[in-house]
Amino acid sequence: MTETNLALQANNISVTYHSRTGLFKSFKFQALNNVSFKVKRGETFGVMGRNGCGKSSLLRVLAGVYQADAGELVTHDIATRTLLTLGLGFDATLSGADNAILSMMLQGFSREEAKAYLPAVRNFSELGDFFERPVKTYSSGMRSRLGFSTGITTQTDLLLIDETLAVGDKTFNAKAEKAMMERIDSDQTVIFVSHSGAQVQKICQRAICLERGKLVAEGDVKDVAQEYANINDKKLD
Amino acid sequence: MFIKSLVLAHTMAAMRLKSEASKLYLSYLWWILEPMLYVAVFYFAFSYLLNRGGENFLVFLMCGKIPLMWYTKTLIKNSMSLTTGKGLMGQRDFPKFVFPYSHTLEAAYKETVVYLFLVAFVWLYGFEAGVEWLYLLALVPVMLLLILSTGMVAAYITVYVPDFRMIIAMFTMALLFVSGVFWDVRALPDPRMTELMLIYNPFAFMLDAHRQVLMYRTAPDWTQLGYIAGGAALLLLIMHGWFASQSQRIARRLYS
Repeated sequence: MTETNLALQANNISVTYHSRTGLFKSFKFQALNNVSFKVKRGETFGVMGRNGCGKSSLLRVLAGVYQADAGELVTHDIATRTLLTLGLGFDATLSGADNAILSMMLQGFSREEAKAYLPAVRNFSELGDFFERPVKTYSSGMRSRLGFSTGITTQTDLLLIDETLAVGDKTFNAKAEKAMMERIDSDQTVIFVSHSGAQVQKICQRAICLERGKLVAEGDVKDVAQEYANINDKKLD
Repeated sequence: MFIKSLVLAHTMAAMRLKSEASKLYLSYLWWILEPMLYVAVFYFAFSYLLNRGGENFLVFLMCGKIPLMWYTKTLIKNSMSLTTGKGLMGQRDFPKFVFPYSHTLEAAYKETVVYLFLVAFVWLYGFEAGVEWLYLLALVPVMLLLILSTGMVAAYITVYVPDFRMIIAMFTMALLFVSGVFWDVRALPDPRMTELMLIYNPFAFMLDAHRQVLMYRTAPDWTQLGYIAGGAALLLLIMHGWFASQSQRIARRLYS
């Protein structure tokens, strides 16, 4: 792999949280421990891991929400990134339409551009009249539909997807998957994060597996999925 | 980049105004009702029960309570602005000063209506209107500078020390008592105290300046107004730069 076709490179990324439990008591929790990997331009890269493996922290570092405590993230020609994730990123008192506009403005679009995209987002989301209602009245499925529709409608250099396909009804899932596959075929760099090894296997070529913040497998998605299945089996015993 | 952030702040403010108004039955009417209800309570307590206040006490109260309430209400909103903005911060990195800016803008839009009401009320009450009332246009930007600069300090501290909002609640209460809302800073028994209050309590000065302009058609003390504006502008500049440099750290703190 030459440097020129790389989209991003994570070098020894670590994230440690310090949580206070009392006035003078606190505990340390290492969410990510020395994680390194490379993502090629235009590829769909998978990250699998169980709950609490550090997926959310990794996505936030990749999205640039905050920096890792140690290590570095090197990106190549990535100006815009879109994070598709459930239950986060909304102002619950505002309507779905307003939230979609804010999301697009945060991605770097002007207000006019965002407004122009709005009918497409509304259409894709299938939210109907709920699109104009406050997000706090939404079910979790509706929230994820809003988030996914906003993210998929606009163009972005790096698309980060967090298990979005797992929620919503069957027909919407099929549509979302189709839209994603179109992106995947169209040279879009995608990082797909899920606790389901099968889902990652379905759409990614290469993947990594995280367990308790550590990278435990890396490479071809079949091998990584096998390794991930072994970890899950071990936990069941 | 800065213009883009300002547009974003304005958009957020406009969206919140719209959603707030659709939630309440009397919607926009509350912008005027709320300060007037406070003024009515004060008037009842001081003028009717305690038989204090003297001539034109109602207008006197309004000229003090309305600007102070603008300040304290926005300060409280601003202090929580980063914490409540956590959801949007989770989408990507962007300058976090957008949050206090948007809450300050939102309050300023409301206050425009309240100030117009105040001026109309003073006029209908029987005070003679004059060009001197235009001095208000000099007071309002200074109020904005005070609100935004101190609001950003409060927002930043609250991210790291959530208990700080208790201090802010006490601070706003203290301001109500020491800034001359229901007593006249110019009628203190000790004239030296009047002088000290006007120099060292910017809020006492600002409330008094509102009265000087609206009730007595007198220009504010420009030197003192300039000091307050300069100090607040300097603080704002520092906080703006600090927020820009701390953007990812603020998000990191809120997500740990």
